[in-house]
Amino acid sequence: MDTLAQSIQILFTTPAILMASVGVAWGILGGALPGLSPSITMALLLPFTYALDPTSAIILLASTYVGAEYGGSIPAILIRTPGTNAAAATVIDGYEMNRKGKAGLALGISLYSGVIGSLFGLVMLVVLSEPLARIALSFRPPSYFALGILGLSVIVTLSGGSLVKGMIAGIFGLMVATVGTDPVTGGNRFTFGTAELLGGIEPVLVMVGLFAVSELLVQATQKDAPIRVESKARIQFPGWKLAKRLLPSQMIGNVVGTFEGIMPGAGGTVASFIAYNEAKRWSRHKEEFGKGSPEGIAAPETANNTVSATAIIPLLAFGIPGSNSTAVLLGGFLIHGITVGPMIFVKSAAVVHGLYGGLLVASIAQLAIGMAMMGPCIWLVNRPRAYLNAFIFALIFSGVFSIHQSLFDLGLVLAAGVVGFIMRLLNIPFLPTVLGLVLGFLVESNYRRALVISGGDHSIFVTDPISLGFLTVATLFVLGSVGKPFFAKMRKPRLS
Amino acid sequence: MKGHLFMAGAFALGIAAFSASASAQDYPKDTVTLITHSSVGGGSDVFLRELSKYLSSALGANVIVENVTGGSGANALARLASAPADGSIFYATTPTFIYTSLLSNPEATYKDLEPVVNVFTDPEVIYTAADSPYDSLQAVIDHAKAERGTWGAANPASLERQLLERLKTAAGAENAAIVTHEGGGDMMINVLNGTLDVGVGEVQEVKSQLEAKQIRVLATFSDEKLETLPDVPTVKSLGYDVVARKFRGIAGPKGLPADVIAAWEKAIPEVLDNPEYKAAYTASDLRPDFIPHAEYGPFIQSFAAETEAFLKQSGVIK
Repeated sequence: MDTLAQSIQILFTTPAILMASVGVAWGILGGALPGLSPSITMALLLPFTYALDPTSAIILLASTYVGAEYGGSIPAILIRTPGTNAAAATVIDGYEMNRKGKAGLALGISLYSGVIGSLFGLVMLVVLSEPLARIALSFRPPSYFALGILGLSVIVTLSGGSLVKGMIAGIFGLMVATVGTDPVTGGNRFTFGTAELLGGIEPVLVMVGLFAVSELLVQATQKDAPIRVESKARIQFPGWKLAKRLLPSQMIGNVVGTFEGIMPGAGGTVASFIAYNEAKRWSRHKEEFGKGSPEGIAAPETANNTVSATAIIPLLAFGIPGSNSTAVLLGGFLIHGITVGPMIFVKSAAVVHGLYGGLLVASIAQLAIGMAMMGPCIWLVNRPRAYLNAFIFALIFSGVFSIHQSLFDLGLVLAAGVVGFIMRLLNIPFLPTVLGLVLGFLVESNYRRALVISGGDHSIFVTDPISLGFLTVATLFVLGSVGKPFFAKMRKPRLS
Repeated sequence: MKGHLFMAGAFALGIAAFSASASAQDYPKDTVTLITHSSVGGGSDVFLRELSKYLSSALGANVIVENVTGGSGANALARLASAPADGSIFYATTPTFIYTSLLSNPEATYKDLEPVVNVFTDPEVIYTAADSPYDSLQAVIDHAKAERGTWGAANPASLERQLLERLKTAAGAENAAIVTHEGGGDMMINVLNGTLDVGVGEVQEVKSQLEAKQIRVLATFSDEKLETLPDVPTVKSLGYDVVARKFRGIAGPKGLPADVIAAWEKAIPEVLDNPEYKAAYTASDLRPDFIPHAEYGPFIQSFAAETEAFLKQSGVIK
């Protein structure tokens, strides 16, 4: 109660409302630009926070994170390109809804699901900061390995028609993830002597190439793109009946987002995919998934916005950033000489309370600012294809270039675009590649690290209880999905 | 109000004119750019930005910080190597620039840069979880000899791993497994939950856990005891000759004129004595460790030679 009172008080003593609004607006813009990940959007603001007081600076950065997680869904729905990694799951049904002329509704669902996610995540952040962070503390290398395997097992359901093609795509992603510095010996792998590849291939670059560039290439091959958004399309919130239908999937998003946010290394991307998958499993309208299901937007968008608040939990409780975005936030604290960790609740309580209050404002401002920015966004996608594509192309490349001012990165994005184009021609899905790329390093490094600890004994993966639990769930999940057709066949004769 | 602003502006201009005429010799330049490979908010970035606040007046120039990220420092090295050697541009050195030079094949390496002076060293300490059974470094080493030890280093190709490998050899603790991570945060979790016996890190990095009494520091790799942790023995005093100086200094392009180097040799000790700055860097556990130009070059050379030998011995490079 004390915390709440102080948080509200801080809202009136610092320009918190202004900072939160500016943060959200900038976040939505950055999130909506493919190539600018939430962490990059936040990092671009960092230099400006030197001049601010600590509370304002932290509110600005955290609000940017909130806005960016929502903003990523706008291009996902409108141009089939996720603006952020975590919006990749939204592409599946969001773009299908757009094709059916329901872009306005899709955007409305994404926005209000995002607000629900942010608010729920904030409550979790305030309530659970200390107790729940202890769970993350008991994660050992074998547990992380098993977590990664559970994430990879989702490939089974993401493969669409052909499991073999899904596996090809997933393994390709895992292969790309091995480029860079060997996690145990520190030697170079597949870097061909270039310093640019030492840090590995950044997933964001591959994703921009696979999704955005290949889409532009495909559109360039079509004479006149038949897909056009209804020019009258306006942001449209779902009616009461639809809102009630969406509620379960949003709850799933909330829960998944909370857990994934707390576990370092998991993050919004994994949360979105797991939430999408769970929402599909529990839905009464399973058949609509992949064909423009509103639940397929609500679940991942709730999840990734929940993560934008819950990812801060391990940062505050341990000083351990679990994702790129929270690492930038940590940078914001460090600039102002604040040591992040358990003692922050004692030594810099005002900043923590300010952060809570600022996130509350940001969650609410998200609704208003999100609606205000929607008009221009919808107008934009109604421009003639040729202009729009040229504009997007310029946007993507300037965005990518702004990350490291590296021409090498541009080459990488183009190469990924060509690979994506070929994958489309062969009907190989992208999402398993993305998952492999994001999780490959986590899986490999923790597998090897666990074996260094155990002295090469593989039993460490079953004696660690968390690892055993995850591996069991992953096994059941794969058997359940792969075995489904067989079970169905077994049942049929009995019925007839 | 407008009048006030105008007056203030005129005053500022006057000061600027005065300081310009006061420094009418060749060096310093109007603007000195300090380059770091670290991104905004990273270790070297914070170091340079704090330093630049006090350096501007000591050097009599406008000091600005620029982040040239990417390629683990290779981009920043390349930028420096091709810059004019007129004292207008410098680079913040850390062991990273040696490691990157040795590990990858960048177009410019540490050999293409001229070390100017050193400013600080970051003390590296060896620590364990507060509830672990080890009350001294010797207990950790004994455990590693008798059964099996798990010692954590933040990154595979790092000074921290190098220190642990040296300690392992010096102590003859053959059963110690050195477990590498993707950064200090990762490793801290594994120390706190008891997966690792000990971890190695900079005092700055582990400060918040130390204040929260979640960890205990067993020993320091510095050559002398730390002011902020007076009870912690040095590894050397415990009988293992492993000492590290994780340096933070300044380097420039090759062929810097003597007056530029002289200006820095004068400015850095002056800045380090500034009471306000002293309070700031002491609080963040940086140890002032000024090394003049004549000694800094050989220091970097020997550091690089030692690192190269380690990387070859552990099979990271050929």
